[in-house]
Amino acid sequence: MKGRQSASGVLSTVMGLALTILFSFGLVILLIFLLSKMPAKTIYAFFIGPFSNKYYLGNMLNVAVPLIFTGLGIAVAFKSSVFNLGGEGQVYAGGLAATIACLAIPHAPGLVGMALALVAAATVSAAIAGFSGFFRMKWDADEMISSFLLSAAVALVCNYFITGPFDDPNNNILSTYPIAKQFGLLKIFPPSKLNVSAFLAIAAAILVYIFMNKTHAGYEMRMCGLNREFSRYGGIKVSRYLVLPMILSGALHGLGGGLMVLGTYQAAIKGFSFGMGWNGIAVALIARNNPLGVLPAALLFAYLDAGAKSAMLGGDVTFEIASIAQSFIFYLVTAQALYDIVRKRRRA
Amino acid sequence: MQLLEMKGITKLYADDLVANDSVDFSLEEREIHAIVGENGAGKTTLMKILYGLEQPDSGSILFRGVKKSIHSPLDANRLGIGMVHQHFKLIPDFTVAENVVLGIEPLRAKIFVDHVTAAREIRRVIESHGFSIDPNARVRSLTVGQMQQVEIVKMLYRKAELLILDEPTSVLTEQEIDSLFSTLRSLREDGKTCIIITHKLQEVMDISDRVTVMRKGGVVAVRSTSEVDKAELSRLMVGKNMLFQLDRKYAACGDSALEFKDVTIRQRGSNRPLLDRVNLTVRSCEIVGVAGVSGNGLGELEDSAAGLRRIDSGQILFDGQDISGLSTGELRARGLAYVPADRLHRGSSLSSTVTENLIVTNHHNFLRAGFLKSGKIRHYATKLVESFAIDGGPRIAIGTLSGGNIQKVILARELTGEAKIVVVSEPTWGLDVASSQFVYEKILEMRSAGAGILFISSNLDEIIGIADSIAVMYRGKVVGFLRNEQDQSKEFKEFIGEYMLGLRDDFVSPDDFVSRDDFAVRAKGESS
Amino acid sequence: MSSNSSYSVPLVFNAVEIMTPFLLAGIGGLFTELAGMLNIALEGLMLAGAFFSIVFAAATGNLFLGIAMGVLSSMLLALLFGTITLKLRANVFITGLATNLFASGFTVVLAYQLFHTKGVIQFQNIPKLPVLVVPDFLQRIPILGDILFGHNIIVYLTWALVLLSAIVIYRTPFGLRLRGTGINADTIVSLGLSPQKYQLAGILISGFTCGLAGAMLTIRLAAFVPEITSGRGWIALVAIYLGNKTPFGIAVASFVFGLTESFSNYAQGAIKIPSDFILALPYVITVAAMILYAVWRHSRATR
Ligand SMILES: Nc1ncnc2c1ncn2[C@@H]1O[C@H](COP(=O)(O)OP(=O)(O)O)[C@@H](O)[C@H]1O
Ligand SMILES: [Mg+2]
Repeated sequence: MKGRQSASGVLSTVMGLALTILFSFGLVILLIFLLSKMPAKTIYAFFIGPFSNKYYLGNMLNVAVPLIFTGLGIAVAFKSSVFNLGGEGQVYAGGLAATIACLAIPHAPGLVGMALALVAAATVSAAIAGFSGFFRMKWDADEMISSFLLSAAVALVCNYFITGPFDDPNNNILSTYPIAKQFGLLKIFPPSKLNVSAFLAIAAAILVYIFMNKTHAGYEMRMCGLNREFSRYGGIKVSRYLVLPMILSGALHGLGGGLMVLGTYQAAIKGFSFGMGWNGIAVALIARNNPLGVLPAALLFAYLDAGAKSAMLGGDVTFEIASIAQSFIFYLVTAQALYDIVRKRRRA
Repeated sequence: MQLLEMKGITKLYADDLVANDSVDFSLEEREIHAIVGENGAGKTTLMKILYGLEQPDSGSILFRGVKKSIHSPLDANRLGIGMVHQHFKLIPDFTVAENVVLGIEPLRAKIFVDHVTAAREIRRVIESHGFSIDPNARVRSLTVGQMQQVEIVKMLYRKAELLILDEPTSVLTEQEIDSLFSTLRSLREDGKTCIIITHKLQEVMDISDRVTVMRKGGVVAVRSTSEVDKAELSRLMVGKNMLFQLDRKYAACGDSALEFKDVTIRQRGSNRPLLDRVNLTVRSCEIVGVAGVSGNGLGELEDSAAGLRRIDSGQILFDGQDISGLSTGELRARGLAYVPADRLHRGSSLSSTVTENLIVTNHHNFLRAGFLKSGKIRHYATKLVESFAIDGGPRIAIGTLSGGNIQKVILARELTGEAKIVVVSEPTWGLDVASSQFVYEKILEMRSAGAGILFISSNLDEIIGIADSIAVMYRGKVVGFLRNEQDQSKEFKEFIGEYMLGLRDDFVSPDDFVSRDDFAVRAKGESS
Repeated sequence: MSSNSSYSVPLVFNAVEIMTPFLLAGIGGLFTELAGMLNIALEGLMLAGAFFSIVFAAATGNLFLGIAMGVLSSMLLALLFGTITLKLRANVFITGLATNLFASGFTVVLAYQLFHTKGVIQFQNIPKLPVLVVPDFLQRIPILGDILFGHNIIVYLTWALVLLSAIVIYRTPFGLRLRGTGINADTIVSLGLSPQKYQLAGILISGFTCGLAGAMLTIRLAAFVPEITSGRGWIALVAIYLGNKTPFGIAVASFVFGLTESFSNYAQGAIKIPSDFILALPYVITVAAMILYAVWRHSRATR
């Protein structure tokens, strides 16, 4: 009986989410009507465009990959009641670290270079995030604020490296030298940029799910997230779980950035990952911090992003309507009152 | 003359949770009316409806014969109804005066809070009712008894004619209860009407003119107090005869299991001691009851015994070894079991399942290569849920259980398996008679199994009922240490109450018991 | 000695100017913070104020009408943020993010629609913000005269608002109830008052001050730049915490930010360090200040 209750709870959450998304789509349509001189064509481009050919479809899925990693990074932290607001800087730094690693060993075999690049990405970002966790543990300095500030500073420092010491003078965008060919990830859906990192993203979601729900450390982490005093009382080493979730969260962000470089850009371009950190928070919250829920939530965001791009090319609106569409979803996705309506309906 | 009539009040919190089931309740002018009933009987809900904090699903309220709808506490205040909640609704950072005037502040120059007028009027209310609080004191610095006075003053300042008090005595000492009751009597003299909710039947007999008994959301009886006795009330409340009876024999069997030596804890940022050179020994097979009014160091004693608070000086010994500075986890590994006073935040994680709550202390026993063995865990939890008769099963969130069942989960976790020392604090707070009885039995079982038990409680009745010896704390000091003779007389309680209020402080050595005879001698000395 | 002060006076003068948007947003954010709500929407509210004030000022040629419309639009956005958070009971953090995202998307979309560019939009006919004229003898007070006077009126309005907010928060029934809401909303309910009312009021006040802060950014430049607020709302939030949730504390914290930014502007021209490092300086200094403060507080608590 209890099992059924929770199943119906999940169902009304899903229905509430569906309602939120439909409602947001409605607002997007309305917005396009207001802004566009050829609304029908633009709306078609927004909603159907991403599915209209392999190139668009593959690229949309490829955008979801880093969002899955940042979403997982946030889910791990938030489940532990540790608030990592430094995702932006961590993804960016991870991407840059992977690039520098690859540039340092241009003649290494492909797999070695990829592995090293990803280790570098994860380590650097884990360290950046870990600082905030450490300050929190040691002196009770709010990790939410410190991670945000550190991330802002880190992003600027990354800008310096990308446009300064590592800048490639041979191209006219602000970007580093490209990494060696053999480090590029295998494309799996040509002509799009979708590559094997998609499988890694799915694997990461499953691994994080298992870690959080089936392991010793995951249990202790969740307990600390739900109630730290209870956890200390129960004998769990609570301070450890102020730092560990931050480190894991940073590492996942870093991997997201590193995979973007290896899979998509083959170089660190100024600002290439901007937005991934913030959207990771939204993805995690839509997924209710459930690692498996992160997969569809990331796809939804990638869809909005692809829709806006397609509407820009196939219609006459600017790309930023994606931000507006996302903001509609942000506004409503946690609105308790909407879920109550669904619940009452179902009961009646 | 009839002041109030509530007719057919029904309140549902969810589809299947009927908190009030067509309740009829009436009140005469200038009476003190007691409402009694087990936990969850619906007393608070009925009062919240009367005070406008909840809206009934059906039913009507007549006040002075006129039908009224009370949508908010402001409506209630306007009718002259005031309520003192079980959990005080005070803002600790504000002064007494600010708390009292909050929401109906007197104004200066039409825009500023007029603190001068406020303090003056409040002082008048305070003085005319013989209270002992300073309008300019911060509420944070008051004792629980004084906070309650602030709540009463708050309502009198709002010109309340009908005062509702929800379980006002559960946090007070015997002396404070006496003083509360004389306040209520003088309010009645002034023409006011009072409703008092309580669990303690003696208090019903002492203070009330009439009594309404509630059970499972409905009213089962309304009587004149002079026409009932405690046995009948108790039968009405629980539906069968319940006697508070413990089968216990004193049998301290071993050496000291837990020992406090000159333990001192100071308040952060100041030098005020919260625990002041406390010396206390708990032996195996012994229950040491610690009594005191809240705010006098009971909480600090609990926290330091459980490794949740650093001590500033002194030593805590566990089986002869110094354990000051060890964490709760390390203490648990050495044989600590701990039932905390704060069972909703410290003792349980409300949104986790019963199972997750049960294994927090021993999940390392269910590991294989870093993974939890879910089959073993399920089996273990199911077994505990059955043997402790916990409602609902192992997989539901513990927060959806009743208070009694939450406490059972905590007891199941802490009192299963071996423990050398058990720290128990306020274990029956807010529980009904049957659940309390269950708690006592489990604690006595642990004692028989050889554990030493530190039993901290502000409920003197249960300390006298269960403890082998009683330590009384006042302002962080152990001011009295008595061998307990299970003497439930009012005189004995008042004798201990004198220690609790700091009127006596003559026994500070744990080896120097006051026996029953000593007490008799002393009590005589007092009266002559 | 004298060369020292000739550098430091303009440094501090600029700091006073630069701190104003932080201070305005911080003061408004304080009202939500005291009402018990985390307000990360300051950034977006400021951006809305920045965009609409300059657009309306340019369209009407009237500076004050422009500022008023900027403030109004920021308050409208605050109303949306508050209504969804309180009435629909949504998570305040994520609705705050939504507000920021909405503002940044909406301003660009609208700029594109109106001016067909997503870049910097220069406006020609924007009058200068009036500067407060003080009697000569005040202006001639050594050092202080040069630092305190000669700013535009929004700077002085901000100081007045700091004072006013201190009075409202600590002396009026509204302030008492607002603080009560933040500490224990249950108490407010038990008195028959509505915590949501005070929280919404706090949000609207933050909309007001953020609108003004945003207006100051664009009007001073006579241009709109996408994301012109560039993290100022977040810094303002940090100022609230570092300022210990008091109006004057926030003023001090904002001044420190103003000084670091003013210094990095100066250093950018004078010292050969990469500009990105200099831009990072305010964040690094803030995080260092925050951690030192935490260490200090920690050592005091455990002493
Ligand atoms: N806000 C609430 N939401 C849901 N259930 C509630 C709420 N308040 C009380 N209840 C339930 O209503 C019943 C009556 O509670 P209450 O009136 O507090 O009882 P009493 O005061 O007699 O102990 C209990 O089962 C309790 O769990
Ligand atoms: Mg009750």
